Amino acid sequence: MNKSLAFLATVAISALSAGLAHAEDIKIKISTLAERSAPGRVTNIEGAAEIMNKQFKAAGVDKRIVIEANNSTVKGWDDLALETLKALSVGQGPDIYVLPHEWIGQFAQDGYALQMDDRIASAPWVYGDILPVLWQSAKATDGKIYGVPQDAEIRMFFYNKDMLRKIGKDEAFIEGLPAKVEAGEFTLDDLTALSKEVVDGKAADYGMLHRPNVGIDYLMVFQSYGVKFMDEKTGKLVFPKAEMTKALGWYERNAKQGVTPVDNTAMSWDAIQGAFKQEKAFVFHQGVWAVAWQVGEKNGATWPTDKDGYFNKIGWIPAPAAEKGGKPANLSHPLLYTVNAKSKNAEIAADLVALATLPYFNNEHAVTSYHTAISNAQTAMPKYKDNWVLSAASPMMEHAQFVPNHTKFGSYNKVLFSGLQAVETGKMTAEQAVEFIADELELQFGGDIEIRDTASN
Amino acid sequence: MSNFQIRPHRPARPLLYLAPAIALLAVFFLAPIVVNTVIAFTDMGANLRVGEFTFKNFERIVQRDARLPMVLLTTLIYVTATLFIFNVGLGALLAMTSTAIPERLGNFFRGLWLLPRMSPAVLYGILWIWIADPSPSGLLNQVTGTLGLPPINLRNDFPLFLVILANGVVGASFAMVILTSSVRSIPSHLANAARVDGASEWGVLRHVVAPALSQPIRFITIYQALSLMTTYEYILLITGGGPVYDSTPYALYIYRRAFENGAYAYGAALALGLMVIGIAFTLLQWRITNMRSTFAAPKIEVL
Repeated sequence: MNKSLAFLATVAISALSAGLAHAEDIKIKISTLAERSAPGRVTNIEGAAEIMNKQFKAAGVDKRIVIEANNSTVKGWDDLALETLKALSVGQGPDIYVLPHEWIGQFAQDGYALQMDDRIASAPWVYGDILPVLWQSAKATDGKIYGVPQDAEIRMFFYNKDMLRKIGKDEAFIEGLPAKVEAGEFTLDDLTALSKEVVDGKAADYGMLHRPNVGIDYLMVFQSYGVKFMDEKTGKLVFPKAEMTKALGWYERNAKQGVTPVDNTAMSWDAIQGAFKQEKAFVFHQGVWAVAWQVGEKNGATWPTDKDGYFNKIGWIPAPAAEKGGKPANLSHPLLYTVNAKSKNAEIAADLVALATLPYFNNEHAVTSYHTAISNAQTAMPKYKDNWVLSAASPMMEHAQFVPNHTKFGSYNKVLFSGLQAVETGKMTAEQAVEFIADELELQFGGDIEIRDTASN
Repeated sequence: MSNFQIRPHRPARPLLYLAPAIALLAVFFLAPIVVNTVIAFTDMGANLRVGEFTFKNFERIVQRDARLPMVLLTTLIYVTATLFIFNVGLGALLAMTSTAIPERLGNFFRGLWLLPRMSPAVLYGILWIWIADPSPSGLLNQVTGTLGLPPINLRNDFPLFLVILANGVVGASFAMVILTSSVRSIPSHLANAARVDGASEWGVLRHVVAPALSQPIRFITIYQALSLMTTYEYILLITGGGPVYDSTPYALYIYRRAFENGAYAYGAALALGLMVIGIAFTLLQWRITNMRSTFAAPKIEVL
């Protein structure tokens, strides 16, 4: 009798407590690209959920937010966008997803991105201080805002100063390089010549390395040559042949002269980053967040982690001008937190995004992953100010431009990349590659794209 | 007495017994074909939405796709070279040589050749990438280096050769296994009788072994040609179909159009094309090689 009573009590208590613990779980799925150096995109949302859970508890609300993260291992942001689009189309999309900004048009048009204008207006405590230029990157073609800037960055060519010393360049030349680039005196061809000098002087195996996959970096070089990707007036994508021929010509010459390896686009990220870190490559073209692995322990070498030590070894320049007297080019590529408009928890997801966008959280992401601030307040916070990498990168934002927020830009860029691969591998000349790109673009986009002889007409 | 009776004959209900097989066929073979056919006539893009039904995809294949002729040529080279040099040629060679040597040694070598088929595709792909690594420390370049040759970059300069080699080494084991059993099933008295009659070893190979292999080789040719035409996983892993489209056969081309560019409808239309090519090819081979006789009941049973 006693025994069965005790048994019953146990059952009753455990059932009750189980019932209490699992009052109502609200599952929020967040999807982003797996990046070892940038866990903040997920942890910030988790941190925001923790705050809301505490508030629920304090207010006696019987709810609990559970974050489920999908760290995708696809090749890059464009592939992730395509994957997310597919998942959303069959109703299995995440509630919050991180998106490269140029894709926002497509997602907005298809109704998968929650329109944020009213929320932004009603929450000045978080959104009032975001850099206005970043909001531009979150707008779809209808002029409305569909995403919240998650981070910002700046792209540059990293160059190894020790190698320049090795081939006998003096400090004045080495330290004066950024200023010369800024003034338009040092051109892309000069960079090629300098890289060749370094390779010929046996100071490095590779002159210049760039990303192996579709991305934004090489578009900086195209811009230096005067390539415009979109007609501001008509909102149509354009492809200017003359400028692109020159731009691809630069990559063609780099490969022909042995400055860039012909199979740069077939190399793995590890091989590329390892080559630069182990000082086998003179120049590496990427963005400020690459400092995360440069000052880290990985990739087979360790570098100085203090400002003076680092800058004694490595220098930064934007994409030099194409011709003497021209302007250097720079790109920033903000990522956006986007809320799935079809999610049944869209309201909660939007609240989480708002909290995760607060300066405290965004700084956590910024300083660990070396991304630049999205709000003014962040730059004034001690944690950000103390980060020498970010304070050194901020002035470079001056020339920063964005790639167009056109719905088809992601696919357009893939075609540009295959043209780049074609000239670098020696499969086509720059002229042939431009015809190849034009042909592909016409095949894929038809009337959505204007193939022009030059950018100006 | 009257209890002992054979149960009255009932209909066998073939449909009931076949139902699982039919269901599998319907779900995994027929349904995808139907879905693919429907998609091929739409404008489905990256967002998986159907705006209209159209013939545009086919018009694009026939009139405007400038990549297609190259892709078809690549497919032809890739399939015929892999098929005849490796899947049939090397397979037959392996079967004949490994049955001619002592059995244990033969088993050992056949086991070795089966290894690539047993290893996961991704692992196998990575191994080839290491072998072809363009730096002087790549496996292949270490070999060429000791011979005093400059390092070669297979993945960039000879991508098609590399994928043929990689696919061939895996593919040879299929023919090897089948042909080994064919060689073994040849009654030994036939070879002995030939030798007694004064036939050389080459004569035995030519007049006793080879005729016995011709029918299984026909089957292997059709089967492997079709499978080569439709698979692309090793190519995707090793060269990604590149540089540009240089090592992209038709099946990979479909994949790249559909999943790299999000042009699903166009990919579906291309896939329909592959189906047509595959059926035409099979019928042609069926006709040329007198395949029907392979499936006929044996005229004699030798035990």
